[in-house]
Amino acid sequence: MGNCLKAQSADDISLLRGSETQDGNDQALGPPPPYQERVAPRAPIYYPSPNVSRPANLLTEDEQVKIAKRLGLIVHLPCGVYDGCSKKGKECAICMCDFVMGESLRFLPCMHTYHKDCIDDWLMRSFTCPSCMEPVDAALLTSYETS
Amino acid sequence: MAIEQSFLLLKKQLAELNKNPVEGFSAGLLDDEDMYKWEVLIYGPPDTLFEGGFFKAHLIFPKEYPLKPPKMIFQTEIFHPNIAKDGSVCISILHEPGDDKYGYEKASERWLPVHTVETILVSVISMLADPNDESPANVDAAKIWRENPDEFKKRVAKCVRKSQDAFE
Ligand SMILES: [Zn+2]
Ligand SMILES: [Zn+2]
Repeated sequence: MGNCLKAQSADDISLLRGSETQDGNDQALGPPPPYQERVAPRAPIYYPSPNVSRPANLLTEDEQVKIAKRLGLIVHLPCGVYDGCSKKGKECAICMCDFVMGESLRFLPCMHTYHKDCIDDWLMRSFTCPSCMEPVDAALLTSYETS
Repeated sequence: MAIEQSFLLLKKQLAELNKNPVEGFSAGLLDDEDMYKWEVLIYGPPDTLFEGGFFKAHLIFPKEYPLKPPKMIFQTEIFHPNIAKDGSVCISILHEPGDDKYGYEKASERWLPVHTVETILVSVISMLADPNDESPANVDAAKIWRENPDEFKKRVAKCVRKSQDAFE
């Protein structure tokens, strides 16, 4: 059965960078979430589901809602700055680099910690912790709704 | 993830594999100038039909690695239900996560950004020992594996012999 990666859509740029620069119908996505501080040179590509990618202005309404929801959940995940405290882990399992003082980190409900940039890109594709495969949303809704 | 990060991540893995080789395979770059194209040599796992074979494969990483999985393509002829006739490996951990397209695979069996060359090859080596015929990439191989084990054994033995000849 053809479940190989033959018919991948072309999605060659990073996610979500600088949605404020696009000229599409981004109003439907609501205000840009606070973590999108960087401005991308190109129009953003969104991932309504992981195997589908499209520029923001070609998304269907359902897909926009889905992305907006996902963004809304991600910003509720606690984040912080690495202060050298080893209790929060020492290494980001995605880029395999040690945390450096002052770097922005994201703390998942399962207690795994990553660089904010590394994990946010992944969470837009799959809402699971890459290390323990714990779904992020279930725990998020119960324990981080108000944080 | 920025392009420099995928480059550094692959470079780090290459250095680590050179320093501490892992049993069952060896890995290096296909072209010293290109960090995104690897060549690996898999030793047919002991106590399997593939024992004694030397199987060369390429791993082609996208610039978005590790957010996206690499493609793996065997260069040595290999007869296996989960390897297409053109050599492409079709296993779930090399598939991007999706919530709709392939419902029969759990998210946990899909690609994760913590996978490395080592973890991919460990999975591929275990796939050699233990084919999965639920989603075969080579339908003929899957059918023969299921219905005619002796014939399957013969076909694999032929690949193993051929692979050995290539390394003499
Ligand atoms: Zn990282
Ligand atoms: Zn976790």
